[in-house]
Amino acid sequence: MSLIQKFSKLSVWSRAWWVLAIIVVFTVIVGLTAGGNVYNKWVKKLAAKTNDIVILPSVKELPYNLGLDLQGGAHLVYSADVSTIAAADRAEAMESVRDVIERRVNAFGVSEPLVQVNKSASGEYRIIAELAGIKDIKEAIKTIGDTPILEFKEQATTTQALQVDASGTAVLDASAAINWKNTELTGKYLKRSSVQFNPNDGSPEVSLEFDAAGAKLFEEITARNIGKPVAIFLDGYAISVPNVNEKITGGQASISGRFNVEEAKLLVKRLNSGALPVPITLISQKTVEASLGSKSIDNSMVAGLVGLLLVSIFMIVYYRLPGLLSVLSLLVYGLTVLAIFKALPVWLALVLVVIMISLVFYTFNELKIFNGTLAFLFAIIGLLLFFYALKPITLSLSGVAGFILSIGIAVDANILIFSRTREELKAGKSVRQAVDDGFKRAWPSIRDGNISTILTCLILMFFGTSAVQGFGTTLFIGIAVSLFSAIVITHTLFVVILGDWLEKRTWLLGVSRSKIENK
Amino acid sequence: MIYRIIQKRKFFLTLSTLVALASILALFFWGLNFGVDFTGGSLLEVGFKNYQPTVTEIQDSLKGVDLHGLIVQPTNDSIILRFKESTEEAHQAVLTKLQELAASKTAASITELQFDAVGSSIGKELKSKSFNAIAIVFVMIIIYISWAFKKVSKPVASWKYGVAAIIALIHDILFILGVFSVLGHFYGIEINTPFIAAVLTVLGYSVSDTIIVFDRIRENLPKSQEDFENTINRSINQTIVRSIITSVSSTLALIAILFFGGDTIKDFALALIVGIFVGTYSSIFIASPVLVVWDNLTRRQK
Repeated sequence: MSLIQKFSKLSVWSRAWWVLAIIVVFTVIVGLTAGGNVYNKWVKKLAAKTNDIVILPSVKELPYNLGLDLQGGAHLVYSADVSTIAAADRAEAMESVRDVIERRVNAFGVSEPLVQVNKSASGEYRIIAELAGIKDIKEAIKTIGDTPILEFKEQATTTQALQVDASGTAVLDASAAINWKNTELTGKYLKRSSVQFNPNDGSPEVSLEFDAAGAKLFEEITARNIGKPVAIFLDGYAISVPNVNEKITGGQASISGRFNVEEAKLLVKRLNSGALPVPITLISQKTVEASLGSKSIDNSMVAGLVGLLLVSIFMIVYYRLPGLLSVLSLLVYGLTVLAIFKALPVWLALVLVVIMISLVFYTFNELKIFNGTLAFLFAIIGLLLFFYALKPITLSLSGVAGFILSIGIAVDANILIFSRTREELKAGKSVRQAVDDGFKRAWPSIRDGNISTILTCLILMFFGTSAVQGFGTTLFIGIAVSLFSAIVITHTLFVVILGDWLEKRTWLLGVSRSKIENK
Repeated sequence: MIYRIIQKRKFFLTLSTLVALASILALFFWGLNFGVDFTGGSLLEVGFKNYQPTVTEIQDSLKGVDLHGLIVQPTNDSIILRFKESTEEAHQAVLTKLQELAASKTAASITELQFDAVGSSIGKELKSKSFNAIAIVFVMIIIYISWAFKKVSKPVASWKYGVAAIIALIHDILFILGVFSVLGHFYGIEINTPFIAAVLTVLGYSVSDTIIVFDRIRENLPKSQEDFENTINRSINQTIVRSIITSVSSTLALIAILFFGGDTIKDFALALIVGIFVGTYSSIFIASPVLVVWDNLTRRQK
């Protein structure tokens, strides 16, 4: 407590210097996080130039998570036909479809494939696969769509003539018309399959091993079909129709179709990579070539820098000294937002958010406008920011545009404060008093205006398509951080720099002295 | 100096009504030029190396493929094809034909830059989703403003502030749609998913702009010596500079995107620029004047 007491005894000015020191540390942290690769390059150059005398420690480089339109890749949407599955089991079946597709996609060496199940408003089940940076999209589409649907069917009506082959297994010609009906047993229950050879004639067979639930189903099916054939269908074709001689327990079965070793191996591979329990069809795709993506990144970088430059020049020309200060806080703003876009380690995210929230609370306390509602509001914003700091934010083209736009909007809070400060100055107040009152008076407008934008962001974030969500998320992060930069950084810089020395130089604040005297 | 904005409200409100009517007419006659995201279909962008085929060459080469509504549009360094089919088969068939075309020229090659295919059901879904999102924004804004202005009930009830903000928003949406209807009709600019994000962002921006004016009214009303009309006019004057400065700084950022951000994002930036312009206009010249008109009407009835 004694530390806090000592601190509160300091003058406003020296307290602001302490806050400024914290802001500088904060800026260094977010700067190194956002531009770790730039810093590391610079460290290397410096070491080379000074013949390895000055070697600064390098930092860990965290990557940005670029969207498909920036790094190239494919966004595929599949519709799943779940009509054959009981309504209660559909969600579960879709989960296994997702797992299977994930396995197939992984074989393509995509760094972080994203496969999601999605239920549309009309109740249609969909699979969305995002394959960032994938090279051979055509092949990927082929592999995903390659649907080994494994089904076990039993006879629906009368028995038909069966051919019995040498090994005693009943084999039905696929062309023979029999009414088959589905059993509950499908590829979903398959645990593993392997190639084995028939001990009698050495012909290749494919053995199937079911999981516990599958074994039980298989036992039931064989029990009620003794003396009758059971068909194994792959992709809608009967590949094997053995006759059941007795109830089979233990969950083992084998397909003794008429295939050679190669075919058997291929079938095993397809079955193990996963049989899709339901058929899927590609209904929508978006693919972007990598070169187009890197062109977009270059364009966005240029657009971002030009945007920042234009806004900075405008602010300095129009608001002079306060404009310059707001440009400084805009720089911290930009670095902070970029840092939050990355997937930060927990400790770092915690440090950043705690610093931001406590400085906001501290500033409100200094301005004597702190209350419970405000604390609650900022606690929620802080929590959301913490969440987004941990999560990598996928930067799509529209997300980057949202960020650049937020540079323009971020100065809004500053503008509100400056306009108010100018009014107070014109009313004849001292610079220090005008700054404090300007902040206090501007706050309700800043709060209400930003809450309405945050509400819009939340709607954007919950509005289905990923591009729109990305845009909403980046805009939200931008607004939350801009509140911090305006309230804390601009205010602290004001208190530290604006003082009595400005009383005779109010032109630096954009207010001519004659106007003050006239009042 | 004080601008007489409220006093000239008839002029501004008539102007805005006319603009809104013109937008409705444009929408009625030309409609909106929806892109593949909404209509379903395909968009294929290919780049040719060492050879730039003409539109007719491409059309001729694709004669063998059964495509509906094929549109071929050359850009600076690539060619964009649009067609109604959205299947992978159609996609591969078109690619094969284009590859054959490239192979028939010496040293020419072709790369697929991007491909968008949207099934028609997804397009319909997106339309209804967008509509719902905009409706939700409207409702939330009325609720939020009524709540934020609950202490100001004299002389105008707090919910009327919300309705006035919504009237300004409807004007904004009509204006943006009208502009894009014209742009779509004459310049072929399409409306896709990012456009919806732009419209929603503009709604948020316009409301926060309006709220800042209302906030000033709320602050001035209790201590004002003037009547309602003049208090509002003074509040607008006190906030007008800030409204304009903020829209200029936001527009500067967007202009950077428009000129340097690349082709893909251009339309998006344009929608935002139009929206921020009209959002700023409506918060000054529509939202508050509507409050005054409404107040006068209720007085007359009493």
